[in-house]
This record gives sequence, C-alpha cells and structure tokens, in this order.
Amino acid sequence: MSALFRCVDIGKQYGGLVALQGISLSLEVGRVHGLIGPNGAGKSTFIDVVSGRTPGTGHVYLDDRDITRVPLSERRRMGVSRSFQRTSIFPALTIREQLDIAAHGAGGGHTGELTDMLGLADVLDARAEEVSYGQQRLVDLALALVGNPRVLLLDEPAAGLSVAESQTLAAHLEEVAARWKVAVLLVEHDMDVVFRVCHVLTVLASGRWLVAGPPDEVRSDPAVIGAYFGSAA
Amino acid sequence: MAMISTARPPVAGLSQRFSVLIVLVALAALLFGVERFGSRILVSLLAQAIIVSALAFGVGLLIRVSGLVSFGHAAPFGLGAYGTVYALSGAAPLPPEIGLPLVVMFVTLVFFLIGLVISRLEGVAFSMLTLALGQAAFVAATKFRSLTGGGDGVIIDMPRQLYGVHADVLQSPYGMFVVGVALLTLVYFALSIAECTQLGRLAVAIRENEERVRFLGYRTRVLKAGVFAVSASLAALGGVLFALYQGFVSPEILHWSFSGSALIMAILGGTSALWGPVAGAFAFFFLKDGLADVTTHWLAVLGITLILVTIAWPSGISGAVQFLLARVPALFAKGKGR
Repeated sequence: MSALFRCVDIGKQYGGLVALQGISLSLEVGRVHGLIGPNGAGKSTFIDVVSGRTPGTGHVYLDDRDITRVPLSERRRMGVSRSFQRTSIFPALTIREQLDIAAHGAGGGHTGELTDMLGLADVLDARAEEVSYGQQRLVDLALALVGNPRVLLLDEPAAGLSVAESQTLAAHLEEVAARWKVAVLLVEHDMDVVFRVCHVLTVLASGRWLVAGPPDEVRSDPAVIGAYFGSAA
Repeated sequence: MAMISTARPPVAGLSQRFSVLIVLVALAALLFGVERFGSRILVSLLAQAIIVSALAFGVGLLIRVSGLVSFGHAAPFGLGAYGTVYALSGAAPLPPEIGLPLVVMFVTLVFFLIGLVISRLEGVAFSMLTLALGQAAFVAATKFRSLTGGGDGVIIDMPRQLYGVHADVLQSPYGMFVVGVALLTLVYFALSIAECTQLGRLAVAIRENEERVRFLGYRTRVLKAGVFAVSASLAALGGVLFALYQGFVSPEILHWSFSGSALIMAILGGTSALWGPVAGAFAFFFLKDGLADVTTHWLAVLGITLILVTIAWPSGISGAVQFLLARVPALFAKGKGR
C-alpha cells in the first residue's frame, strides 16, 4: 500500500535544545499509525511541525506533493486535519453551529452521520461549554472529522477521558480509519487505546527515532522497555 | 487591560430578545419625552452623547467580536469628520448626499487595509499599535494646515439642505439627536442580524479560538480586518455626525484621550450586549455633566467610578441589565407559586 502522507526528516530545535531530530514516517489509507514515547519524547512537537502549527525542518508530502509551506487553511481543504492535546473547541457556540463552521471551512460535508456515530446528536443545540468533558473531546474530534478528511492527526484524543470513554473513542477511531478510509496518526499515552487501534507504531525518545513496527513487536522491544522504564528494566 | 470584560456575548437568547424590546421601547419613550419635557441643556447633552456613542459603539464592537481593545478609534472618527469637511466643500466632485456615505466607505476601506496588517497582533501589542496610529493621525492633522486648518481647525461650509433636511435641523440638538438615534438603531439591528449569520458565528469562533478556526480551513486575518473596518466605520459615522452638528472640526477629536474616553464608555456600558457601549456613552456624558456641577475634580470621580464598575461589575451596564432580565421570569414564577 502506498503512503498517502509522508513526513521526511522532521526536526525541531528550541535554541540549544533539540526537540526532534530526523524523524520520518508515512501514513497509509485506512490505517492508524501510533506515535508513542515517554513524556518529552517530542510526539506533540512532531504533530505540531507536520501540521504546520510550529515551524521546523524537513518536508511533508501529501500524494507526493510537498505541502510543507502550504498555509493551514489550505491544508484543511486538501484533506489534512488535526485535533489538539487540550480540548480546542468554541465554548459559546452550539455544537451544531461549530460543526457547520467546520463543514464550510473544509469545503462542504454532511455532519449528520458523524454526530450519530459520535453520539452527539442529542446535544447538537447545546453550547459546547454546557456538555460534559467527554462530549467536548468528541466535539473536538468531530471538528477534525467534518468534511471527510484524508489525513487525521490526533494529539492525545483520550486525555482526561474515563476508561469507558477511551474505549468508545478507540472504537470510533477504528471505524473512522477503516470505513472512511482515513490515514490516521495517533499520539496517545493510553496504551490500551494505542494497542487496540494502531496498525503500526513509531516510538520516539528524547526527540529521536527509537524503533518502529507492528504493535506486538514494539511492545516487547528491549529499547522501548528501556525508554519507558529506564535501562535497568 | 485584563480588567476589561470580553465576556462571551450570547449568540442568541431570551435575554437578548428582551434587550431588543427594551431598547426600542426606551428609544421611543426617550424621543417622546425629550421632545415634550427636555430642557435645552438636556437635549444638547443627548445630542453630544448620541454622536460620541457611535464611536463607543465601534470600540465596543471590536471588543465584543474580536476581543481587541483599540486606543486609536479617534482616528476613524476624525477622518470621518475631516472627510465631511471635504465632502461639503466646493472642491468635492460629487454632491454631499453621495459624498457623505462615500466618506464612511472610504474610512472603512482604509481601516480594512490597516486591519489586514495589524490584526495579526493581539492584546497589548494591538492596543499600542492603534494608539500609535491614532497619534500619527493627530499629528498629521495638526501639521497639514492647508488641509485641516491645523490647530485652529476648519469651519464647515454647510449647504442649505442635506437629504431634504434643512441644515438648521441637523445643527439643532433635538434634530441631531433624532438623526443619531435613527441611524444607530438601524446599525444596531443590522449588526444584530449579522451576528446571527454564519459569518457572525465565525467571528465569535475566531475570538474564542483563532488557531482552531485556521485549522478548520479559514483565513482568519481577512475576517478580523473586516470586523476592525466595521468598527472603524461606526466611528467614522460618528465623525460625520459630529462635523454636521458642530459645523467645525479641529485636531482635538483625533487625540488619544478621545479614544480613551470612548473606551471608558464601552467599559461602563459593557460589551455583553451590542447596545452596551451606547448606554455607556450616555452614562458617561450624564455622569460627567452631573459631576462637573459638583466638583472641578469630576475626572477623578469618573476614574473611581470606572474602577468600581470594572471590579464590581465587569460586564458593565448591559451586563447588569441582562443579569436582571434573566431573573425576571424566575421572579414571576416564584410569585405564581405563592
């Protein structure tokens, strides 16, 4: 299967601190690529750089077209979407209003199926600030999914969710990737979610590539165990 | 700066509908009452307040929609006033009836272009840049004597009639008050409708989370510049009314302290309702007039009032009214239950 979204030699430096160095990975249609690593590994920085939020080095390709310097608004219309580590929605607007805005921004798209799938249909006319935190996270995900994006970059979507909510989210992600043919990059600390939905994992440590492969192989890799639990492990 | 309430305005709600009704009833009562019972001083005060409330409306709109605080809105007000001088002079190529709307449109365009550049900035940086722009306009008005009359100002050559209305009517306090109320009411309803459109909601979304809006596929800078331009057009409208009423324009109206006064009005009135800054302008003028009768240190008392309002009720007069209105149905419900 050919790669839809390729990130090549991505790097980021804050003064003398190297946050990311030479990270490359590819996303394929219908598959979830997990990006994991201990705190400070550079996972969120990676998403920020490849989504255009933060300037960095390296190149990002969509369908072999270099989109590294394409403005954020245009990337969304090209089908590259993302969510944020902290819930990033519009509290004063109703969920329906913000989904309409997202649909228009993405160049069209129906929200009905999406809200049904995510269980938001009953709260469409509530302001986002009035619904539960779990539902706010789903609104965040819905905003990223409106308009059928081709590439979805998710930064810790399960952060702050209960175990049950995380499992529901995982089910949604599996469905989105498989049924909607979306290439997903998932940065996540919840390993239950990661190992349930990811087809391939890349592990970072201190901004550097550590290992990549199928989840079962990565789980037992001594380098990964060492990165998470210290070399003594 | 942090004390200025940029509380989220309701997108649509019961209290807002009540607010519209209250504004209309209050305006009708005001026009009737002023005509029947208003003293010359009171009507003069109302005329001044309605003119400057257009400026406060513009400043408040920018806070309400974009969360941005301008210290330079005297500039579009002054440009509107000086533009009126030109439109009414013999040098203008078009009749004044066409020239005056063009003045407002020209100021709107100029501030849209400025907005494209400065709306990248936020917070204190934006405020300081508007202050610098405003002061640049003030200095320009004092230096270019051939155009502005410099510090001496310029007297307007008023035509006998404008839009079929005798110039004396426009220069009478009651006449200007009625014209001002009519224009601002139209603007108010136009903006109320605009807030309920997709564009209005997008503006709210940008204020709440601009970065996310960009990630949703929008070029936010254009819309922010548009909001800045609309707020400047309101100030320019105030400038046109000011020039027509006074028949005289001087650089004082471009000074930063005038922008500061408009900001005080917007804070007093609050921005949780569109009409808040207008109410703030009236409160400002009446407070100023009342205090000036009592003490020469009226500015100090006004300052203390402002501090008290921002601490005790940061959403201002409009916030207080909305708070009370939201509780009226509950009070009725309690009464029925007894």
